[in-house]
Amino acid sequence: MTSRTRARVIYTNPSRAARPKPEASGRERFWWYFMRVSGLALVLLALGHMFIMHVLVVLTGDEINFAFVQSRWGSPFWRIYDFALLVLAFLHGVNGARVVIGDYVTHRTARSLVIGLLLAISGIWLVLGMAIIVFFDPTTQSVSGPLS
Amino acid sequence: MINLFGYRLSWAQLAWFGHRASGLGVLLFLFLHIVETSTVLLGPEVYDFTQTFYQNLPAKLGEVMLMAALVYHSLNGLRVIAMDFWPSLTVYYRPLTYGVIGATVVAMIPLGIIMTRGYLPWG
Repeated sequence: MTSRTRARVIYTNPSRAARPKPEASGRERFWWYFMRVSGLALVLLALGHMFIMHVLVVLTGDEINFAFVQSRWGSPFWRIYDFALLVLAFLHGVNGARVVIGDYVTHRTARSLVIGLLLAISGIWLVLGMAIIVFFDPTTQSVSGPLS
Repeated sequence: MINLFGYRLSWAQLAWFGHRASGLGVLLFLFLHIVETSTVLLGPEVYDFTQTFYQNLPAKLGEVMLMAALVYHSLNGLRVIAMDFWPSLTVYYRPLTYGVIGATVVAMIPLGIIMTRGYLPWG
């Protein structure tokens, strides 16, 4: 039943790349707005990040290495920029994956299991990502890591 | 209409599929990128070694694909947002979709050349 309704929405709405706005207010309506607002922010944040790392770095003859990260994350501006990019991109991406799973996994129990797994793995990953940006110490001169 | 393995697809369907495929691809890279960047906490030797994984032609081509996915997903996403908040624009969905695909291709020409510069014959 659910899968039929979803398929019909996609068929009658071919001009949209995304789902129609949920009729009822609530959690799904919140995520519908979140995808659009975070998407607008990510156009600037993600494309800006790619432009710096893959265009400016190449054109200035710079190189992405430990010293590069040290000087970048020595500035609070870039640390906040990267933190915002990480959190928004992650939530936007994982919610998008959740919607895609919902379209293809139609069995209720299987859907809950797959989405639960996605959210559990994503939670651990996001905490790891945030920890990197928060705990990196730019004053480190040389650390003896396990491979050094 | 385009014919793909006997299926008649419209550009609008491909734009929809491309949005999902590029989004999932970028999410997959984001997971990888977090793990690879986490080595920065292990010191300069480990991090600089990790970064050598990106310094070869296949990785560079992967980065070009990542850039193309992001450019397309951004432009197509802006189209979706515009049509969601100004429904009258839906009339122009066909030229807007062609515009998004065309702009992605045009933007990727200079970006692709800059990103693979070290591997080009004149680079």
